[in-house]
Amino acid sequence: MKLDQLLPPERTLFDVQGGSKKRVLEFFSTFIAQNIPSLDDQEVFSRLIGRERLGSTGVGNGVAIPHARNPHCKSPLASFIRLADPIDFDAIDNEPVDLVFVLLVPEEAEDTHLTLLGQIAELLNDSENRSRLRHATSQRELHDTLTDLIQQQHQ
Amino acid sequence: MTDFNSVYVVAGLLVVLSILASRVSARIGMPLLPLFLFIGMMAGEEGVLGIHFDDYSRAYVIGQLALAMILLDGGLQTRMSTFRVGLKPALSLATLGVFITSGLVGVVAMWVFDLSLLQGLLVGAIVGSTDAAAVFSMLNGQGIKLNERVGATLEIESGTNDPMAIFLTLILSQMLVGQVSGVFETVMLFVEQFGWGLAFGLGGGWCIGRLLKWLDLASGLYALLTMALGLTLFALTNMVNGSGFLAIYLMGLMVGNVRGQHIEHILPVHDGMAWLSLIALFLVLGMLVTPSQVLDYLWPSLLVSASLVLVARPIAVMLSLKPFFGFRWKELIFISWVGLRGAVPIVLAILPVISGVEESDIYFNVAFVVVLMSLIVQGMSLAPMARWMKVVVPPSASPSRRRTMGVLHENDYEMLMYHVDNRGVEKIPLRYLRFPSGTSLAAVFRDHEMIYPKGSTELEKHDLVCAIGRSGDVAALNRMFDGEARLKVARDFYGAFIIDGNAPMLELAQAYGLTLSAGEKDKLLGEFIARRVGGNPVVGDDVDWHGIHWVVHEVQGNQVLKVGLRLQ
Repeated sequence: MKLDQLLPPERTLFDVQGGSKKRVLEFFSTFIAQNIPSLDDQEVFSRLIGRERLGSTGVGNGVAIPHARNPHCKSPLASFIRLADPIDFDAIDNEPVDLVFVLLVPEEAEDTHLTLLGQIAELLNDSENRSRLRHATSQRELHDTLTDLIQQQHQ
Repeated sequence: MTDFNSVYVVAGLLVVLSILASRVSARIGMPLLPLFLFIGMMAGEEGVLGIHFDDYSRAYVIGQLALAMILLDGGLQTRMSTFRVGLKPALSLATLGVFITSGLVGVVAMWVFDLSLLQGLLVGAIVGSTDAAAVFSMLNGQGIKLNERVGATLEIESGTNDPMAIFLTLILSQMLVGQVSGVFETVMLFVEQFGWGLAFGLGGGWCIGRLLKWLDLASGLYALLTMALGLTLFALTNMVNGSGFLAIYLMGLMVGNVRGQHIEHILPVHDGMAWLSLIALFLVLGMLVTPSQVLDYLWPSLLVSASLVLVARPIAVMLSLKPFFGFRWKELIFISWVGLRGAVPIVLAILPVISGVEESDIYFNVAFVVVLMSLIVQGMSLAPMARWMKVVVPPSASPSRRRTMGVLHENDYEMLMYHVDNRGVEKIPLRYLRFPSGTSLAAVFRDHEMIYPKGSTELEKHDLVCAIGRSGDVAALNRMFDGEARLKVARDFYGAFIIDGNAPMLELAQAYGLTLSAGEKDKLLGEFIARRVGGNPVVGDDVDWHGIHWVVHEVQGNQVLKVGLRLQ
């Protein structure tokens, strides 16, 4: 399973107004439920927020990677959100977050879940990569940059 | 008059040379102590200066004094909080471990040099104790931090095993000259040595700790008073047949763990004193040794040395630690490898010479080779070994400079200096930064000038900031100015995701699809991990479970506060 297959252009969101951690997750849940009708926005939201309660998914350097399993999710799906203004995310370094990579996986695919999560974390662990994502000037450029980075990672 | 002056000139220059050599050694990663020995040998009878020095009793007196100072400093530097994970294993190593090491080496020495059993055992006893100062000075020099379990064990072991090795050497020397005969006498001597050592060390240390905290002295005098009291205690304990070394180490421990501003005046001075003692000790021993004589014993001594490093120490470590404590194999291998021998064996090797044991040459020369080999071979391979055995944790952030202000007696305010290296605080007006309450930013330094910090001041990378706060605020301030590079290292080590220790296992299992056994369902993550690693968790412990490395990220006592998820 490759990361770029989970991330069609329409799920790369550019300059989203964040507000707060809760608002961003709410925004994503509504968005993904519209995008994929089999998903229920309430369920997506409560699972994501449930995972945040165990410890923030803000991994530092302005990056957060919210993730959850979902019974109505048929195959893993991802979404990348770049916020217009950084928001507080209780990240480990207490820095506000502006890059949010969300991952939803089906209930049964545990190993895939972990592999994908590891790939995303590694991708955003690189300061060069983060800076390129922050400097994209349009939704299209953001998506191209992201797929480009993912493909580089595979090589 | 000129005679005295020439002695001073030579002594002064030798110390100067040794201190300068430490710079060179740090740069090329060469262990320091052999370098001091080498400089001593160069000054000695077969070296450049040709100083003829073979006064064993004077060397012994200097050695005793230097060892006492080094142990005092060791005690002062040891934090009692490390006892949680280090004390019991260290004591097992310092007693059982020393017995086994000495016994095995003794048998090998007996066979190699064709000695009697008693003589062989004396060789074993002489090289029985380890030196952690050598280990830590080298690891610190290379910016390596050991995990607490391994670090604390090695540190406490080296402070407590010297009295045991000294006792064994004393007993065996006396047996060889026929002063001690019966088993009863030996046992009594043991009880006396350790009983008085413990009593004087703990009792004296407690009183001295109180006294130093209570007294109001000029700052320079605290360290001197500690030293003078330490020496007095050391000598008094020896006079009643107790172990002065045990007493002075325990005293250091008691004094160093009393909180207060006086500690800050004591530690740096004693650190310097320990260095001076080490340099003096190794210079003197270097001058005392006759290199051509060492060469006579070289090959058999190397055999003894190899048996110590490759056989005796590993067996001793396995037998004293494996059955009783929750060490991993890699930790055991590392502890086996870093049983570095330092100054103690060479000083102890003088004892047989001055107590008139026959063929005493052998002991000194064997000890010399064993120590030299240990310092060079084990010393130089420390850092790679630590990385290879995965006993290293990423260095935690700390202020670049830290001084208490002397305003309050308890929980005093401190001045904390940081180099700014965090994108999160750069180019943001200070008024928007969330400083921990109770702290304040006193000054900002940029391009060698002080900037008065106002609400509109923006920090830049490489600024030097000076904050005022108490020790409780340090963690928050560290995070605030922490380097980005350090965060990446931490993320590579602990994993990107950090989970709270009090996250319920059931919820965690739901989030990641983990299967739990019946007993695990009502547990919290912290408890689960603590149990998996054997009850005494330390930062850096990891558990492989469900394809995830669960790495302990933060502990408080035996409680796991945060756990990292490292995904592969």
